[in-house]
Amino acid sequence: MRLPVSVKVGLFSIAVMGGYSYFANSIPQIESRPPQELSLEGGNVTPAQLVKAGEEIFKTKGTCEICHRIGQKGTRAPDLAGVGGRAAKMKPGMSATQYLVESLVNPNATIVEGYPPIMPAVDKPPIALNRSELWALTAFLQSLGGTVEVALADIPATAGGESGAGGAATAVALPGDPKAGKAIFTGKGTCMACHKAGDVPGTPVGPDLSQIAQIQTPDYIMKKILDPKGMGTVANFPPGVMPQDFGTRLTAKEYTDLVAFLLTLK
Amino acid sequence: MKRLTPRRACVVALVLFGALLALSALPAGAQEAAKEPAYREFPYIGSRLAVWAVAQLHLNFAAFILGVPIFAVIIEIIGWRTSDARYDWLSHEFVKLTFAAFSTTALLGALLLFLFVGYYPRFWGYMTSVFFPTYWVYALLFFAETFTVYLWYYGWDWLSGSRKWIHVGLGVLSNLFGTAILFVANSWVTFMMSPAGVNEAGAVTGGVWAAINNFTWMPINIHRLIANIVFGGTIAGAYAAFRFLSATTDEERARYDWMGYVGNFVALSAFIVLPFAGYWLGREIYAFNQTMGITMMGGFMSWLWIIQAILIGILFLGSNYYLWLGMERIPGAERYRKYVPPMLIVLTIGFMVWATPRSMVVTLDEARAMGGTHHPLLGFLGVMSAKNTVVNLMILTTFLSYILYRRANKVSTRPWVKTGMALQWAALGLAAVVVVFYGVYGYFVESIVRIGFSVYQVLAVLAAIVLVMAIDVPMFKGASSTGTIRWGTIAPRSQYVLILLAVTFTWLMGLMGFARSGIRQHWHVYGILRDTSPDAVTPALGYASNVITVVTLAFFALVMFIFWLGGLGEKGKAGAHAHAAPVLAGGSDTDR
Ligand code: HEC
Ligand code: HEC
Repeated sequence: MRLPVSVKVGLFSIAVMGGYSYFANSIPQIESRPPQELSLEGGNVTPAQLVKAGEEIFKTKGTCEICHRIGQKGTRAPDLAGVGGRAAKMKPGMSATQYLVESLVNPNATIVEGYPPIMPAVDKPPIALNRSELWALTAFLQSLGGTVEVALADIPATAGGESGAGGAATAVALPGDPKAGKAIFTGKGTCMACHKAGDVPGTPVGPDLSQIAQIQTPDYIMKKILDPKGMGTVANFPPGVMPQDFGTRLTAKEYTDLVAFLLTLK
Repeated sequence: MKRLTPRRACVVALVLFGALLALSALPAGAQEAAKEPAYREFPYIGSRLAVWAVAQLHLNFAAFILGVPIFAVIIEIIGWRTSDARYDWLSHEFVKLTFAAFSTTALLGALLLFLFVGYYPRFWGYMTSVFFPTYWVYALLFFAETFTVYLWYYGWDWLSGSRKWIHVGLGVLSNLFGTAILFVANSWVTFMMSPAGVNEAGAVTGGVWAAINNFTWMPINIHRLIANIVFGGTIAGAYAAFRFLSATTDEERARYDWMGYVGNFVALSAFIVLPFAGYWLGREIYAFNQTMGITMMGGFMSWLWIIQAILIGILFLGSNYYLWLGMERIPGAERYRKYVPPMLIVLTIGFMVWATPRSMVVTLDEARAMGGTHHPLLGFLGVMSAKNTVVNLMILTTFLSYILYRRANKVSTRPWVKTGMALQWAALGLAAVVVVFYGVYGYFVESIVRIGFSVYQVLAVLAAIVLVMAIDVPMFKGASSTGTIRWGTIAPRSQYVLILLAVTFTWLMGLMGFARSGIRQHWHVYGILRDTSPDAVTPALGYASNVITVVTLAFFALVMFIFWLGGLGEKGKAGAHAHAAPVLAGGSDTDR
């Protein structure tokens, strides 16, 4: 019996498209999932954890790998191996942290020689990293041949701020643990050697911090701990007395806890 | 022919217009949008799949009713200038097919609109806030298009003879309206991909024109326009193939053999330019946003381009094979048979190089084993330089097939024929050398310089085509014939090739649609309006291709149904048909 033409043509078409579908199903199946937001809530992060989170962002949400390799020279963008080390020397007057942060949020400010200015500002959509994520990412970059010294305060408050209707941004929530912070204040941080803070007794070498959260912004407080000189000197106090190295002495968690504690001082 | 009454179509147009009118209430409603949910859930299959299926179907039909008339008006003009009644008949035949698909297209469009309004209210509200004025333009154009096509179709006899130019003018006009409709719709789609005229928060800053004239608008316009012509041609070819295969008389077979040939010819001519339009589009995407461009070519979509390359390879091979089979029915073509194997080799190698991936997403272990995501050897062939080279060579080869086909039954009587042929071979050879030279040289220069090379390659190919044709036409004017084309005697498997081409091209359109919309990933409007629905995940290729296959099958089933209806109409009034097909058996030597 002969098949009607329409049946033959139909079967033929199904076979052709079935073949295409079969092939498309036989190759690696890769979905593109919407990125998850990272928020360093609770502040429970050590530099090691921060670096790990940063690496994750580097590979996923940041989509950095489509241009950058680590330890392999790409034609499109610089090899990022060792960037943490060389960052300090890239731009006179800029610390490693400042340089890296600038590379991320304002990539065209400095163009690495021999490369086109194609890098997107990664705090803007569509990549739209928030401040926590930028922080972690910078820490990861610093871990590549340098020391992890970035603090959340180094990420400009405006970064990753605005975004469109339904955009990706979330306010950085960094509550930290004030109780643990108080312990840092009195213990490892040695702050009480110079500061009084509410019911924590201290010496008058530095200003009384009992109402610091009321008179200063969180941003200032965060920066002041990491870079006391950079934030100017409080009137009637000697400059250069407050230690400069808390940024390296405290872990990220200790730092966030400490800030959380200071923010309770109203 | 009841289904073709103007009244029916007016009803459809009115439905659409009414829908638009209802939408015009939206801007005011936008303030209330906050209270409205951003999404609603389509039952069972989910909203995304519903929109996807309807959008793809709508696009298939729209491409059909835009592409086929372009094709029809071209052959109407040919028939008019050459006074060859066959072309006029064929043109009329195709407008009839368009006509039957008109109402389905409009209904699918309205359905798509309802899905957006109902299931993606926030998204649609946003689009309306940017594009509202264009809705009116769209509606007006739709009216204009509908009425001109009606006049064109029903005025066929009335505007014949000395008034034929008016009729052709109507055909051109309806195509202009159709193209304008396409451009308006493209502005919405391209805005979603490469938004312009709005700030980061999505508020309109540059006016509606800035939003329309975004980075990818023009490239998509051109790309889709050309693709529509290819699509129209392949569908026409498939229709002819279907009729050929079910034909019972030699006369019918001859007629549909010829029709299939013309369909394939038009498709092939447009298809040759399509890769260039594709490159332009790709470049604009990179210019708009590097990250998007690289994600598209090297990120999670990298495999998609391999499938695309395979499909394009099949299309090239298929059309060449069809021409070669067609030569079998031309006495005198034996002379050229020896060229087939080398051409086949060029095409196959080209196919393979083009399908070689540049870099792809692999698992970490695979990458380690391979020493990076670029394969040491294959990566070498995977770069654009190699691909540009082979696609140009494939185009040259296809052109050569066509040239040989053209002269299959002709013997030039010109005294300068030797010189002419030598010049033609020299032009083709030179073009091939230029293409290969820049292809190889491309490996030694910066990518910025390399991009410029593809322009030289294209120019060389186009120049060769123009030159060869300029020699060919006078050379074979008044040529003596080695016999007429025996229309209808082509091997039936050639007709399956025509069907293969139509199916493959339609499937390819579905795939490209997935690429276009998948590239936005989890954004409705890239970087501005985020997809926060449960469907924000962009699916993998396997799933996508399953959807594409099912929808394409549905499309062909609907088209078959419409064609079947068309056949019914004819059966009723066989002898009395106003546009009886001209007799073709025995063929004619004015091949085209
Ligand atoms: C579209 C490609 C692209 C993407 C995506 C991209 N970059 Fe870049 N990046 C570049 C290019 C090109 C340069 C060099 C030119 C310049 O300095 O802007 C660069 C420079 C840098 C630098 C400075 C390097 C140096 O040696 O001084 C850093 C750091 C950096 N990128 C980090 C990142 C991170 C982290 C991401 C992911 C969030 C990222 N980039 C995403 C292209 C890209
Ligand atoms: C060696 C003494 C010393 C230690 C230890 C010290 N500080 Fe200070 N701090 C000062 C002095 C002196 C000033 C005022 C001068 C200045 O602004 O540099 C100051 C200023 C500040 C201010 C700004 C107060 C204002 O009113 O603007 C803050 C906040 C602060 N310190 C926090 C801390 C914290 C938190 C620690 C513990 C991690 C700490 N300090 C450890 C000496 C110290």
